Amino acid sequence: MRQRSAKSKSQPAGFTTVVVLRLYVAGGAPNSMLAIANLESICAEYLKDGHRLEVVDVLEDPHRAMAEGVLVTPSLTKLSPQPVAKVVGNLSDRRRVLLALGLKPDVA
Amino acid sequence: MSRDRPRPDGGAGRASARLQNALRQLPEGGIERQAVDAGEIDAVVDYANSNIIMFPFARRALRDTAKGAAAAGANRQPALQGPVANSVLAALPRADYERLLPGLEPVALKHGEVLHEEGAPIRYVYFLVDSVVSLLTRTEGQRTAATGMVGYEGMVGMSLVYGVDASSARAQVLAAGSAMRMPAERFRDEFRLCLPLQRELYRYAYVELAQARQAAACISSHHLEQLLARMLLMISDRSGSQDIFLTQEYLAGTLRARRESITQAAATLRSRKLISYSRGKISIVRRKGLEAASCSCYKKIETLHAV
Repeated sequence: MRQRSAKSKSQPAGFTTVVVLRLYVAGGAPNSMLAIANLESICAEYLKDGHRLEVVDVLEDPHRAMAEGVLVTPSLTKLSPQPVAKVVGNLSDRRRVLLALGLKPDVA
Repeated sequence: MSRDRPRPDGGAGRASARLQNALRQLPEGGIERQAVDAGEIDAVVDYANSNIIMFPFARRALRDTAKGAAAAGANRQPALQGPVANSVLAALPRADYERLLPGLEPVALKHGEVLHEEGAPIRYVYFLVDSVVSLLTRTEGQRTAATGMVGYEGMVGMSLVYGVDASSARAQVLAAGSAMRMPAERFRDEFRLCLPLQRELYRYAYVELAQARQAAACISSHHLEQLLARMLLMISDRSGSQDIFLTQEYLAGTLRARRESITQAAATLRSRKLISYSRGKISIVRRKGLEAASCSCYKKIETLHAV
């Protein structure tokens, strides 16, 4: 309910855009931990309030990972706004992550 | 824990063969294979066997972490992790948390729901997760003023901590969300026996008192726009949402101002493109700007939680 973004005439255009992300990890494995840290840093810098991040531990819920077509972990999916985008690996390549999220690396 | 969790003690040769099989299923030349080659992957999903296959280095790391945690002593492990946990419960040693768990019931709190009435006996205490509860004190007749706010950092029903069975204020849900509740009788027993729970709740009692003092000082010395900005930020921090559902009456009662003044203060913040609002919903547009527009009391109150 709280993620609903009803538009009103008084709202400035575009502010309701929320980037919805889902990060699949394998418990506390090294690349998974690194991916969480890298993504949190990117979100804090570029998407401070305009994002929703769900971290899914595939070791806890392997069936969900399979139902959602995950091949490897760590794996990041941008669900919204369209188009859906995917980045795999520990997200150390900041530029690649930003491009997948639809953000320009040189614009804060 | 799922039974599908890969067995760390599986034979190395067999595990390696399963891993190789799973790797062969990855798309040729795809981003997954590139990441595997770069050593950035911990595990592969094995669709053929409905399993997750860990890379040996990742499996070793998990095993070492588990051993390290066990060596550090079970009592030092946090009971809950993650931003959605209630701070009081999260700070308890695992053994204590696990003892409390059967007495805790997850509940969804609705906006406007009254959890406790002023002066009425407390039936349940609530450990909030992402809901926000306002504590309202009656002034005259049915009029009330908000004199406290509780979120993930605390518990609703603090009177029981002081040994009083009745609530000193009306507790009403300000932002819908989830919470864990415990029957008052069980809470009394647990509180009497569990020293870590006592320690955490006495610490929270201090935070709640200091927060109320700071808020009282703030209301008497800062501009209404600053108060409004602080209040919106505090609610948003606790609910994890930028959208806040509030009425003018509530704001007027809480900030001790006339409704017209509230309208004017909100319009000022909106003209600076910090918030937007329509039909009872206020949305934070530029958080950094709103933080700058609030007074120093916001930061002071928020840092109290680190006590």
